[in-house]
Amino acid sequence: MNDFLKYLSTAPVILTAWLSLTAGFIMFINFIYPDPLTFPSF
Amino acid sequence: MKILKNIFASIVLISFLFLGNLAEANASFNNLMPCKESTSFQKRLNTSIKKLENRLKFYTPDSKESEFLTKEIQSTKSRFERYGNSNLLCGKEGLPRIIASGQWDHANEFVIPGILFLYITGWIGWVGRKYIKYASGTDNSFENEIIINVPVAISIANSGFLWPVDAWKEFTNGDLLASDDDITVSPR
Repeated sequence: MNDFLKYLSTAPVILTAWLSLTAGFIMFINFIYPDPLTFPSF
Repeated sequence: MKILKNIFASIVLISFLFLGNLAEANASFNNLMPCKESTSFQKRLNTSIKKLENRLKFYTPDSKESEFLTKEIQSTKSRFERYGNSNLLCGKEGLPRIIASGQWDHANEFVIPGILFLYITGWIGWVGRKYIKYASGTDNSFENEIIINVPVAISIANSGFLWPVDAWKEFTNGDLLASDDDITVSPR
């Protein structure tokens, strides 16, 4: 278990997880607020 | 060190000068008009809708394709409505233009997203630097750069939201820039 956690903490794995999260977040934003051209003023 | 400080100070000064002179950059956009009043903008909306409606004719109303196209028509309409209502200026050909001169009535087109971009990238860079500084202070600094200490990294990443303040503090007490003695130079 400890070795597995160590594997999950290596830089490439962290990078993959982080960028996947970021990409998903941006897709989600674009899904609920499509075609942004200006910063929305609420 | 002193040269670097001077360069940094002049960069700050120049950027402030540019920000201070925003009023003079206020151009009158005689060849642009609000998208809402632009007839070619309206024409673009109509042709986009017409194209989609022509495609819609090929499918039966309860098919997946027609459902997709109906949604597409809806989103096209709402897009044009949003662009029309959002103070955007259009060219003669009816396409919206982003005004990047920095004036405040068009700040949400370039200035605010730009500042947001700098803030987020600065945050990422700042906490990355902080983590490397933390790693260099540990026993096996190389391993800590390859195998991330996740709890420490997360706490550092979450602490970065005030990075402009932190960076300014470090700059004023001299921690931000390395001293000249620490920089290796090739023999000359």
